[in-house]
Amino acid sequence: MSSLGMVLNIATTALAAQQYGMDVTAHNIANVNTEGYSRQSPTLEPKQALLYQGMLLGRGVETEQVTRSVDQFVENKLMQEKSSMLSSQEMEKYMQVMEGIFSENSGTSISSMLSDYWNLWNDISNNPSGSSERTALYEHSVLMSNQFKSLGSDLTQIQIDITNAVTVGVERINQITSEIAQINVKIIGMEANSVANDLRDKRNVLVSELNEYLDIKAFEQSNHSLTIISVSGCTLVQGDGNYELEMGGSNGDRVRWQNSAGNYVDITNYITNGKLGGLLDIRDKIISKYKLDLDEMAKEFIWSVNQQHSQGVGLEGFSAGTGTCDVLNSGEELGTLESGLDYYEKISDGNFNLWVYDSSGAVVGGSANVITIDADTGGTTLSSLIIDINAVDNISASITTDGKLMIDADSGYTFAFSDDTSNVLAALGVNTFFSGSTAGDISVNSGIVADKNHIAAARIDAATGEFAAGDNDNALAMTDLQYTSMDISQWTCDRINGNTKGSVTTTIEDYYHSMVGSIGIVSSSISRDTEFNEMMVNELNTLRNSISAVSLDEEMTNLIKYQHAYQAAAKLITVSDEMLNTLISAI
Amino acid sequence: MRVANKTIYDTVTYNLGSCIQEMNKANEIVSSGKRINNLSDDPVGLTQALEIKSAISNLEQMQRNISRGNTWLASSESALTHVQDIISETKTLCIQMANATIDSTQRLSTAGTVQNLFDEIVSLANTNIAGSYIFSGSKTDTTPFSEDGTYKGNSNAFTVKIGKDTTVEVGSDGGALFEDILRTMDGLKTSLTDNYLEGIQDAMSDLDGHFDDISAKISDVGSKMNRMDVKEKIFEDIIFANTERRSKIEDADMAGAIMELKAREFAYQAALSSSAKLMALTLMDYME
Repeated sequence: MSSLGMVLNIATTALAAQQYGMDVTAHNIANVNTEGYSRQSPTLEPKQALLYQGMLLGRGVETEQVTRSVDQFVENKLMQEKSSMLSSQEMEKYMQVMEGIFSENSGTSISSMLSDYWNLWNDISNNPSGSSERTALYEHSVLMSNQFKSLGSDLTQIQIDITNAVTVGVERINQITSEIAQINVKIIGMEANSVANDLRDKRNVLVSELNEYLDIKAFEQSNHSLTIISVSGCTLVQGDGNYELEMGGSNGDRVRWQNSAGNYVDITNYITNGKLGGLLDIRDKIISKYKLDLDEMAKEFIWSVNQQHSQGVGLEGFSAGTGTCDVLNSGEELGTLESGLDYYEKISDGNFNLWVYDSSGAVVGGSANVITIDADTGGTTLSSLIIDINAVDNISASITTDGKLMIDADSGYTFAFSDDTSNVLAALGVNTFFSGSTAGDISVNSGIVADKNHIAAARIDAATGEFAAGDNDNALAMTDLQYTSMDISQWTCDRINGNTKGSVTTTIEDYYHSMVGSIGIVSSSISRDTEFNEMMVNELNTLRNSISAVSLDEEMTNLIKYQHAYQAAAKLITVSDEMLNTLISAI
Repeated sequence: MRVANKTIYDTVTYNLGSCIQEMNKANEIVSSGKRINNLSDDPVGLTQALEIKSAISNLEQMQRNISRGNTWLASSESALTHVQDIISETKTLCIQMANATIDSTQRLSTAGTVQNLFDEIVSLANTNIAGSYIFSGSKTDTTPFSEDGTYKGNSNAFTVKIGKDTTVEVGSDGGALFEDILRTMDGLKTSLTDNYLEGIQDAMSDLDGHFDDISAKISDVGSKMNRMDVKEKIFEDIIFANTERRSKIEDADMAGAIMELKAREFAYQAALSSSAKLMALTLMDYME
């Protein structure tokens, strides 16, 4: 039946619907700046019509649901791009630190220090007996060793800082996954009847933040809870529970996932995206490479200088001397890994001359004592070398408690070396310039620290055993090292396949130059990636905003739209009221 | 496309951000005067610049080596020229003393003059530069000749490095140079003392040989100095060319850099003013 009452009913539904619309508009306006909020809009539907006298009569309007304007494809794409962007942004940040460390703008860069180092040897060759040249070389070498060390420790420090940042990230990840699990519970409860738009937005924000840290995949289950899986198939959230990540491993620098059985799985190398992906990439792929390369360069530099130095002689012989290199096992052949010598590979079959001088400077015995080295299995060990040296008159050799070779001359006697074809002296750190074998432990040999006269600019005449203060043969040979190409190892670090060692043939300085250049190239390519990712994210954000973000102009228009409709519905009530009055007054 | 308020704010933020970043970059170049301020600005150029820098450093060292060598050579030349003069002087004395009219007293007194000349040669052979004896072989801390003319140095001449794979002997084996001369002088002195005419005549012909030897040595030293000068000039040219190359790689083209900065500044101002206008607009201004 059509009646005045029905008009009133229809007007009531209209009032309610327009007011609901205004509520939604108000909610949208209120959330105009809420991160991750998707604008909502009511879906209005005519109420089920009634059949009256053969005709269908409408019964007004009802709000069927409130929907969020979301394009899941765009959301997912945005999430992915954001993850890559954050990864490269993190990398860019640390690459800038790297650039600062290897900066060439100061005079204390390794490259200018290396040039100066060779120049100072030139100065010594110009005045081999001068003490100021020797002191200058010594002071510079101390500075340069410190520079090597500080480069090495700076790189280690960045790695530690990165590990700390990863730890903070892991803590945040655990917080997020636990929050998502809680929201899952709420959504399961609420969505029995309708869609929990705001909770879903909140959950999306959390998922998107989680995605900022590492690679994840999210699936909605039939009960509307979200399951989140990360790399290597490890589940982070399932239903109302979350599985935590933790930092572990022997150095506490590995990201591990604990499965339901309580076992830990190391997932570090598989995290490739998000902040953690970027941090781990820069720590385990980039910085670790340059750290290894720097060590290789230091190792070859130390070796080539020491090898040359051990061929020479200073202004005076030694009255006592201790090698700088430890032998772990004095019974093992020096040319084998088992001996524990850092430079065991450099030792070959050969011999060296051991000269002994009496207090007047005359050669004891009139000739050299030739010590033969056999690098092969069954060959020379530190113990057998000591027996050979002890066979020389006025000289005694022993092993220090930490496995170093120590040689002493009887009172009034001195000794010196020449023509070592076996490299054993340099490998044991006897008559060398530097001690150590990496960027972290390079130092000037303590023998030279104690007496600059032991800087070996000269060489002993192999026939007579004499050496002269003005002889610069060894210093000149030392200056040649700057032009000498040598095989220097170069590392490639890969988080999945591990680190592999290759080799390049180049001079020490060129190796360093190309290393610095390569840091620049890596840095600039990361910057380009970052720029590109930022642009992609910006584009997708614009697209997402065009679909989901609130436009105040639009909401204002809607407000007027609902206001007018509300006014009209109210008018309906007035009109039907007047009609009722007319009817009643007619009675 | 639908433009939400967030779109406007995000776009403004992003664009102003990139504008100011570009402007900062341009400013960095202008204020430092260098186009490479970070390793990543031009890694390839940087590597070249580093190589040039170490090449320059090496060449400058070679120049210092050359200058050191030249000091030695110049002192050698001067000492040898004096020795040559002494030889001529001695020869003149010999000619006079070989004359039959000269009596034994005159010869005896000339023997004293020859002893003085002998001492002078020893003193010249003991020439010392900043603590180093230049005619002592590599025993530069040892006085090469004792008073009686015995050589105590060795035969390894002192060398300096004037380039990769190139060394030049700038010191000398004083024994080979002066021992014979001193022996002749000593012999002459004895002959004069003993009034032994034949010995004086022998010495005369020996002195001719010594004169030629020293002449040859002087011209050898001279040609070495020449070679070093040429080398030094070449190094100077290379250093100049390298410095210029390095500057081309590292230094900013100032005019271009300032234009760039101006352009960026203008773009930034434009973005600021258009953004301010855009953000101020809202429908609410037109609603009662």
